[in-house]
Amino acid sequence: MSTFSRYLRIWLASARYSLARAMMFRGDLFVWAMVELVWISVNVLMVAVVYSHTRSVAGWNEYEMLLLVGTSMLIQRFLMGFFWSGIFEMGRNVRSGAFDFVLAQPGDPLFMASTRKLELDGLLNSVVAGALVVFAVGRLGFHPGPADLALYACMVACGVVIHYSALVLAMSLSFWITSSQGVEGSYFTLMEFSRLPREALRGISSVIFVWVLPVVIVSNAPARVILHGFQPSWAAGLCAATLFWFFLAVVVFRLGLRRYTSASS
Amino acid sequence: MTKYGHAFVVGLQSNLVYRWNFGARSLFWLCHLLWVFIFWAAFYAGKAEIGGFTFAQTLTYFVVIFVLQFFVGAFNEDYQISEDIRNGLINQFLLKPINYFAYRLSVFAAARVVSGAFGLMALLLALPFFRGYLELPHDGWRIALGIPAIALTATIQFTIAYCFGLLAFWFLEIQGFVILSMAVETFLGGQVFPLDLLPHGVFNVVRFTPFFYQAYFPAVIITGREGFDFAVQGLAIQAAWAFILVCLSEALWRRGLRHHTAAGG
Repeated sequence: MSTFSRYLRIWLASARYSLARAMMFRGDLFVWAMVELVWISVNVLMVAVVYSHTRSVAGWNEYEMLLLVGTSMLIQRFLMGFFWSGIFEMGRNVRSGAFDFVLAQPGDPLFMASTRKLELDGLLNSVVAGALVVFAVGRLGFHPGPADLALYACMVACGVVIHYSALVLAMSLSFWITSSQGVEGSYFTLMEFSRLPREALRGISSVIFVWVLPVVIVSNAPARVILHGFQPSWAAGLCAATLFWFFLAVVVFRLGLRRYTSASS
Repeated sequence: MTKYGHAFVVGLQSNLVYRWNFGARSLFWLCHLLWVFIFWAAFYAGKAEIGGFTFAQTLTYFVVIFVLQFFVGAFNEDYQISEDIRNGLINQFLLKPINYFAYRLSVFAAARVVSGAFGLMALLLALPFFRGYLELPHDGWRIALGIPAIALTATIQFTIAYCFGLLAFWFLEIQGFVILSMAVETFLGGQVFPLDLLPHGVFNVVRFTPFFYQAYFPAVIITGREGFDFAVQGLAIQAAWAFILVCLSEALWRRGLRHHTAAGG
């Protein structure tokens, strides 16, 4: 059996377990789906209120901004759906020693820690975020072709990998500090920048949030595919950022793992 | 020193254990402030005023909101209370001559002293960059009404968190409710945008919700976005909400205890 199919089977087993668990706690699933929906609504309402006072922010009109926000939300909901719970629990597990359980499993620790749980509420709301993107594209009067849509999907996937890497980096700090409580907030704070149009950033902020940290290109690159078609420089920048940040996350996680001292009695 | 004084001191010590987390959180709040600066600068580009306020006045508003959040915002008190109930730790308080509300309020006050100190440090770091944009009015009445408004805001913040924490008497998992409420509070508390940008009718409805008094109200008194009459009326509504929420928390505590089963020996 190839490594890929072995990991696929492990992931499918985790997904099956997560779905069964979600069905056991249906009320909980409903509440969390509402939470995600309300956060999406907050972002949409912000755009609506801001654009009731202006026609353009950094050269982006209301529906272009909705497309950007929708894309950012879509990437975040995929992250929430596929990886959030596993990585979020990593911080607590490292502190309590329950991370031993992950290490004892038959696979790469990062893979096992990241994919332990599938969150149905996040995946359900990715449909809402997707609908927001479709609505914005419709209002803009664009009709993207299959190639544009495929490229958009690839770029969203790159965005998910970058978000994943940022979260792993943030939570890996729990190997060094007493508690990662509050550190996960760093992820949300940084990812706020993904809702900014590239043109809004100038000077040093442009250097930091466009070139050093890829938080702006994560959402701007896919949105630009829909708005302006394929732009090689944006695609290349996003691919390079994806590879670099994923590599960095894996290295930092492994360095942290070396410090983990377990808590067995 | 009274027993609650001791609880305050222990709260200070236990919060200082997590000083790096508070430090990290402060730094990421700085990043959020930068996001606010970039976004609102793009929003105001080419416009002297929006909604009757300049860019400097709006930035000042957000800075005050952030500082208030550090000094009076309830971060994870609801989670701590729910854990006390879920793990049975609350039983020890039932057997001692200690009021759980007063005990939690002491710990909340201690946590805010620590987070407030870190918030101030973050503000001092940011001041050289934002100083030119900060505009605070110098009316004496704003201080006189602002201080009780901040005290009532702290009461409202704490009692809402306390009530959500007490839901653990009835529900196994309350984090969904907490984050759902946080989304509503973030939006209606004026953390996303100044609420005076809302349509007038909506603003007048929001004015009568407790969320309005969780950060927005003291911020507009201090920053001069509203006048004396509005502040006096608001203070009366805020005091009414604080009273209602304190009564509600007491009622929930009494009903919750009837529901509670203290197991173990």
